[in-house]
Amino acid sequence: MSADRQGAVVPYALAALGLALLAWGSSWGLFAAPGETYMGDVQRIMYVHVPTAWNAMLALTFAFGCALVSLFKGGWRWDARLEAGMEVGVVLSTLLCMQGAIWAKPTWGVWWDWDPRLTTTAVLVFAFAGILVLRRFVDDPVKRAVWSAVATIIAYVDVPIVYFSVRWWNSLHQVQSSPETVSKAFHWPLRINAFGILFLMSGLIGLRTRLAVLRLESELAPPLPPPAAVAPASTRGDR
Amino acid sequence: MTPTGVIEGGWGFVVAAYVVSAVVLFGYAVSVHVRYRAERKRSQRP
Repeated sequence: MSADRQGAVVPYALAALGLALLAWGSSWGLFAAPGETYMGDVQRIMYVHVPTAWNAMLALTFAFGCALVSLFKGGWRWDARLEAGMEVGVVLSTLLCMQGAIWAKPTWGVWWDWDPRLTTTAVLVFAFAGILVLRRFVDDPVKRAVWSAVATIIAYVDVPIVYFSVRWWNSLHQVQSSPETVSKAFHWPLRINAFGILFLMSGLIGLRTRLAVLRLESELAPPLPPPAAVAPASTRGDR
Repeated sequence: MTPTGVIEGGWGFVVAAYVVSAVVLFGYAVSVHVRYRAERKRSQRP
């Protein structure tokens, strides 16, 4: 077994553990937890929506941390981690918007509203997805690492805005819940799913980092010598 | 009918949210796995 394949066991194990926890927490939330007084069964969407939100912010915060280290300390692995964290963060944020729209329809009567929380989240998705797309168009790995780190730091400004938007402006979206404001019957499925997505996210970031490192290695490898240069070496070996 | 302020039913939305979550998370996990395997094979080629 190669060293790379051996090292990939941990991300795969984390992802598998995450999926198992998600299956457990979701079945608890769907079938065992009681419905909420006013929202009834629709509130069960919370068990996937809220953990997705927490982990999306966490993945983008990880990308922000990697951007800082990549910019001030350097190192290809930090650029690879930045790309991985950002991609996972964009996937989770997009999923967050989809879950939110499905929850909004029966509770607010609309799929989407240009409410501060929703608008700032949409800006977040487009900003980070844009950085990921633009990375593909830069061939020079040094320039790509520097400008994506700078762009990530700038785009990250939106993350605290998303978090505090429900407090700063009159938002249709409810303010953050806490263990004190959420019934104890809802705590466990919420926590299990939060850890489920956390483990899945960590595994995926680990695997996606390895993928980015492999790509960088092939990009940075010196080009193979032309066939004419190879021929004398092989003849020498034959003697 | 007098509005009660309580949402009745809605299981369709709940199922949709969980199905979308499963498809996105599982689909993305498979995509990372497939891309990683392909890149590893490519890097092992002489």
